[in-house]
Amino acid sequence: MPLAALFVVLAIVFVVVGVLYAFGVLQIAVSDPGSPHHYTHAILFAVLAVASLIAANFTRPKTV
Amino acid sequence: MTLLQALFMGLLQGATELFPVSSLGHAVLLPSLLHWSFKQSDSSFLPFLVLLHIGTAIALLILYRAQWVSIIRGFFTAAVRGSITSDSERLAMLLMTGTLPAAVLGVFLESRIKALFASPYAAAAFLIVNGGVMLAAELLRRRAERRASLDGRPREQQEERFTDAAHISFTAAAIVGACQALAFIPGISRSGVTIAGGLVGGLRHTEAARFSFLLATPTILGAGLLEVPLLFARGVPLAEYVLAAVLSGVAAYGSARFLLRYFRSGRLDPYGWYCIGAGLIALALLTFNL
Repeated sequence: MPLAALFVVLAIVFVVVGVLYAFGVLQIAVSDPGSPHHYTHAILFAVLAVASLIAANFTRPKTV
Repeated sequence: MTLLQALFMGLLQGATELFPVSSLGHAVLLPSLLHWSFKQSDSSFLPFLVLLHIGTAIALLILYRAQWVSIIRGFFTAAVRGSITSDSERLAMLLMTGTLPAAVLGVFLESRIKALFASPYAAAAFLIVNGGVMLAAELLRRRAERRASLDGRPREQQEERFTDAAHISFTAAAIVGACQALAFIPGISRSGVTIAGGLVGGLRHTEAARFSFLLATPTILGAGLLEVPLLFARGVPLAEYVLAAVLSGVAAYGSARFLLRYFRSGRLDPYGWYCIGAGLIALALLTFNL
C-alpha cells in the first residue's frame, strides 16, 4: 500500500478516536476520569487527523 | 494573592518564559523562598497562569507578526499543493512537525509530570539539570566549531558557518519540538532545551532562538486558549489577572528583543551557569529553611 494511503487510514483512525474522546467513550490517559467529554483530547486527535491528511498529500504520487 | 504579588508574578513569568532559565521553576521557587502565603494549588492560580501564558504568546505574535503572516500563508499553500517551494513554506511545515510531538506529550503527560515534580526541591534540582543541558549544548557547539576550523575567529564568522531555522532537518525539528515537553518539569526551561536542541541541530544562535520562540507561540497559545473557560469560574479576579498578563506580555516582548540581539554573538553559557548557581542557592535556602 502506498504511503499516502497509509496516512489517509491513519487520519480516519484519528478522527474515530477523537470522536470517542469527545463523547467520553474513551477514558484512556485522561486527567479527570469519568468526565462525559474530553474535548482537549478530541481537539488533539482532530489536529493529528489534519496533519495526517497533509502528510498524505505530500506523499501521494504527483503528475508532472 | 495581592495585586502586587500578581504583578510581580506576571513580570517574572514574562521575563523568564523566554529567557532559558525556566519560568515554571522560578514560579515554583520564588514564592516558596519569599514565604508568600498563596498556594499554587488554589483553584484560581491555574486561570492566572493561563492568562500570563496568553499574554506571553500575544507578545510573541506581535514580535513576529510579519513572519507569522508568511508562515500561515506558506502552511496553507504547501498543505494544499503537497510540496514545499519556499523557505516560509518549509518553516511552516517544520513548525508543525515540531509542535505535534509537544501537543501529544502535553495532552497526555503534562498534568502527571507537573503533579510529580511540583515541589520547590525538585524545581531547584531540575534548574541545575537545565543549566547542565545548556552547557553541554555549548560544549557540542564548540566541538563543531573546532571541527570546522573556526577556532579563534570572530563570533560573527563562526556563526555564519551554521544554518537558519528554515533549513533545519525535519527529524531535528521533531526532536526539538518533543524537547518542549521536558519543560513541564519545573526547573527545565522550554526555551533552554529548544535553543540547545537547535544548536545541536546546526542552527546559528539567533536562529535557534527564533525557532524556539516561533515554536513556543502555538504551544503556549494553544495550551492557554484550551483553558480559557477556567477564567470565567467564580472568584477569579479577572481585572487583576489581565493587568498581570499585560505586564507579562510587555516583559516577554522586551526579553525576546534582548535575547535576539544578545545571541548575535552571545552563547548559552551565562544562563547555564546562572541556572546551576540559582539551583544550588535555592536548594541551600530550602534545606536550611532560611
